[in-house]
This record gives sequence, C-alpha cells and structure tokens, in this order.
Amino acid sequence: MSSKSKMSLTARAMRAASSENENLSWSGDGEARIIRDQDVTKPAAVKFDHVYKTYKLYKSDKQRLLGTVSRRVDYKVINAVDDLSFTVKRGESLALLGLNGAGKSTALKMITGVCYPTRGRIEVHGRISALLELSAGFDGNLSGRENLEMRCQLWGFTREETQALIPEMHEFSELGDYLDQPIRTYSSGMKARLGFAFASSINPDILVIDEALSVGDKRFRVKCEERVKSIMAEDNLTVLFVTHSPEQAKQFCERGIVLQKGTAVFEGDIEGACDYYDNH
Amino acid sequence: MFGLAKTFLQVLHDNWVWRRQAWELAKIDLVKTYRGAALGWIWLFVKPAVYIGVYYFTFAIGMRSAAPINGMPFLLWMAAGVFPWFFMGDMIATGSNVYRRYPFLVNRIRFPLSVISTFYVLSNMIVLVGTMAFTIIMCLILHVKLTIYLLQLPLVFLLMMYFWTMWSIWLSPLSAVSRDFSKLIATLSTPFFWLSGVLFQLDSLPRSILHVMNFNPVSWACVAMRDCFIDQRWIWSRPKMLGCYLFLCAVVTLLAMRSYSRLHKEVPDVL
Repeated sequence: MSSKSKMSLTARAMRAASSENENLSWSGDGEARIIRDQDVTKPAAVKFDHVYKTYKLYKSDKQRLLGTVSRRVDYKVINAVDDLSFTVKRGESLALLGLNGAGKSTALKMITGVCYPTRGRIEVHGRISALLELSAGFDGNLSGRENLEMRCQLWGFTREETQALIPEMHEFSELGDYLDQPIRTYSSGMKARLGFAFASSINPDILVIDEALSVGDKRFRVKCEERVKSIMAEDNLTVLFVTHSPEQAKQFCERGIVLQKGTAVFEGDIEGACDYYDNH
Repeated sequence: MFGLAKTFLQVLHDNWVWRRQAWELAKIDLVKTYRGAALGWIWLFVKPAVYIGVYYFTFAIGMRSAAPINGMPFLLWMAAGVFPWFFMGDMIATGSNVYRRYPFLVNRIRFPLSVISTFYVLSNMIVLVGTMAFTIIMCLILHVKLTIYLLQLPLVFLLMMYFWTMWSIWLSPLSAVSRDFSKLIATLSTPFFWLSGVLFQLDSLPRSILHVMNFNPVSWACVAMRDCFIDQRWIWSRPKMLGCYLFLCAVVTLLAMRSYSRLHKEVPDVL
C-alpha cells in the first residue's frame, strides 16, 4: 500500500510538471469553445453549456470528398447532441442513462477530447482516463504488455513508473500468460478487463466508463465496482458512467442524467433517474 | 492567413509537447512492422538488398550500362537513389494515410493528430538513416573513397523529414475523409519512382523537363543524396534546385495547415 501512495505522489509530481501539456483552450469554428486544464481545485469537474454536436451525413464517400472542397454539396444534418447542459461536481459519480442513439457516447467522446462540439461550451478540469466503447485504445498488433507500456508512456509516466504499475494491472486483469499475446487474439471480455485495469490504475482525476462493464462476467463486474468505490473513497475521483442498465448505475452512482435524442430530459438523484428511465 | 499561422503554431506546440511520446511511438511503429517475423530486424536489410540486387542485375547485366559514375561504383550510385526512394515511396503510399493506420489514436485517446504524422515519418526516417549508415560501412569495408561532403547528410535527412511530415499532415485528413483519395495518392507511387531520376541521371533529360524536375521533391532528395556520395558537392551549390525545394516546402506547409485546420476536427467523426 505504501508503495502505491508513493507511486501516486510521483505521478502527481509528473502530472503537475506536465500540466501545461494539456492546458490548451481551443476556440474552434463558430461558437464552440473548449476549456481544458488540470486544475483539480475547481468545484466542477465537467461542465456542458448548451452543447451541440452535429454530424454531416453525406450520400456517399464521393460526396463527402466533394464536400471538403465545395460548400454546395448536399448533406443531411443530425444533431447527436442537442442543446445539452449539465455539470458534474468533483468527487461525484454520475450515470448517463439513455437508449441507443441518445447521444451518450458522443457526449463522453467530447468530454474525453477525441471529438469536438459544433456549438456550445465545454469545460473539463482534470485529467481523464477513459474506456470508450469497450476499448481503451489498444493496438491489436501489439501484445497486452506492450499496449500497457505504450499507454502509460502516452499518459506521461516514466519507464520506472510504468514498470512498477504493470504487475498491478496484470494482476487485476487476470489475464495470466495472455498478457504477452497480441491484443487481436483477445476476446471482448479480455479487452475490457485489460482496459479497465489500465484506466483505473493510472490515477486519473476523472474516470469515464462507457459500457465496458457490461461485457465482463458478474464476478469481474463486482470487482470493478469495488475498485472504483475504493479509488473514489481514497482520491477525489469523479466518475462518469454510461449504461442502459439502471441496476448497474445504482451500484455506484449517486446522480443520474437521462438523455433522450441528445438532450437531458431528467437530472437528479440516481433513484429518480432510474425511475424516469424505466417509465419513459 | 492569420488562421493558418495560428494552426502552424498549434502544430509546432503539439509536436514540442509530445516529443518524447512521438519518439517512443516511432520505435513502437518499427517494432510493429517487424512483429511476428522470426528474423525480425534482418528484414530491414533484406528488402533493400533484394531490390538493389534486382536493379543491379537489370542495369549491369541486362542493359550493360553500369559504368562507374564520377569515378564511383555504379552500385553506390544506385544505393544513394534507391534507399531514399524506399523512404519516400512509403511516404507517398502510406504516409498520406496515417490516420487509418492508427485509428485508436484518433478516436479513442486524446492525441494531437499532427503528431501521428510526425512519429510515422520519424519511424521511417530511422530506417533510412540505418540503411545509409549501412551503406557507409560497406563503403569503408570495400575501400570506397568517402569525402567531407558526407557531413551534409543530416541536413538532407532533416529537409526530407520536414517536407514529408508536412505532406503527411496535408494528405492524411483528406485520405481519412475519402478512400478514393488515398487510393489515388497510392497510385502515384510508381510514376514518381520511374519519373524522378531514382534510376537515371537527371542531367540526361532535355532542359525543359529539367525545369519541371526542379519542383519534384523526390528528384531533389536523390540528387542531394548523390551529391553527398557521388558528385561530391554541397547541396547549396545547386541554388536553383535547393531554392525550388524550399519553395515546395513552404507550399506544402500552407496546404497542410489549410487541410489540417479545416478537417482535423472532422476526422474523428468519419474514421
């Protein structure tokens, strides 16, 4: 245990040193604005303010290519996220509930920073570790161990810190000898286990979990829940959890937001959110 | 114009901040390429050796035109053009489409897209530097005379890296948006090889075509590489050619910034 707290101290120092790395505010096209820093003293971890995400749907790839050079090409507009506003306070655990296509994953992707809002304002304070759509961003041709090394390195850990962390992740993922096999040979459950082991071991400020737990078996799910609860108790971790299963959400979320067609139709405590979700 | 300058600064900033990660990812890319091959690193040398062997057979034995050039062995003359070509051929075919090679860096992790181009070029550059070092060692073993002009090699490598990184930043977003486009660019690879003087002396071309060749980045690299090994002159002793190359670098930078600033937010949505 002592080694872990020492670890997290070094990691914290690293993080402080690299904080300017991501301290970028992009002011994009139109009215979209993203503020992203690592100031964990701010009371709000994530804040959405009238955020829209518009996808352009072209008839074909050819039309899309033409669309990049000319503005006269026809396309359909779909608002995956439509005027979404909410705030996640630091240390809170929030469930995003919604049917398929409600805009949950798109919202998470914008929080994580892999895609950009079309309009609105997003604030994210703190470093995010995310499991998006079951995958933590692993390269199929590399082995599990190499992927962990690569991801730790991208996160900003030094070689020593990485080597110290990997045994812990290995043990948690229960992959055994498979850790040295290429990821493409893994089953979806194995990938989710490894992804979760990585995402929860690197001391994030905000942990984003997108349905990753739904592929694991019950025993592993319970293990993950305990893990999340324990880091939440220890550090001031903020958790964002996406699911369509209210039972799972109740396990470790205090608050819930129900999304419908890209907007928040209910925001409140988790019981209320689950009731609302079940009845609509 | 102001917007492009801002994008350029953004790209420089991203590359500076992520330099350590870019270097590690370049090494991982190399490992990945030769993954699963029992001979591993040997393949790095087998492919160039086989190609050089085949070209040498065609020219020296098939066409009987393998006279020493400027007193240097024909084989060295060929190596100084073909090895850089391997780098540039890869850049034309796959460097123009790096996002599809690393989809998880685009839409699973927050990672600046321009750095994907940087580390991919870097990883290929490591191979080029390795093969050129191998060439130099072979020259030393075979007592081929090497001169002070080899000192400009790092400069040539840097100039090549700059151009092809910008090339990749320019075309990768377009390739991500349209597969037709990536296919079109990959098709250019073979014409570039045969038209750029990788395997013939540019001097033998008519003057009018020579003017066009000044604006061919592949020709410049082959000529510059041969300046180091064969012709023994500084690259700036061809001011017109170098000037045209620098002009090309500027043009491709502008195009890259334009395409990057327009499309980098759209790429994660379409990949």
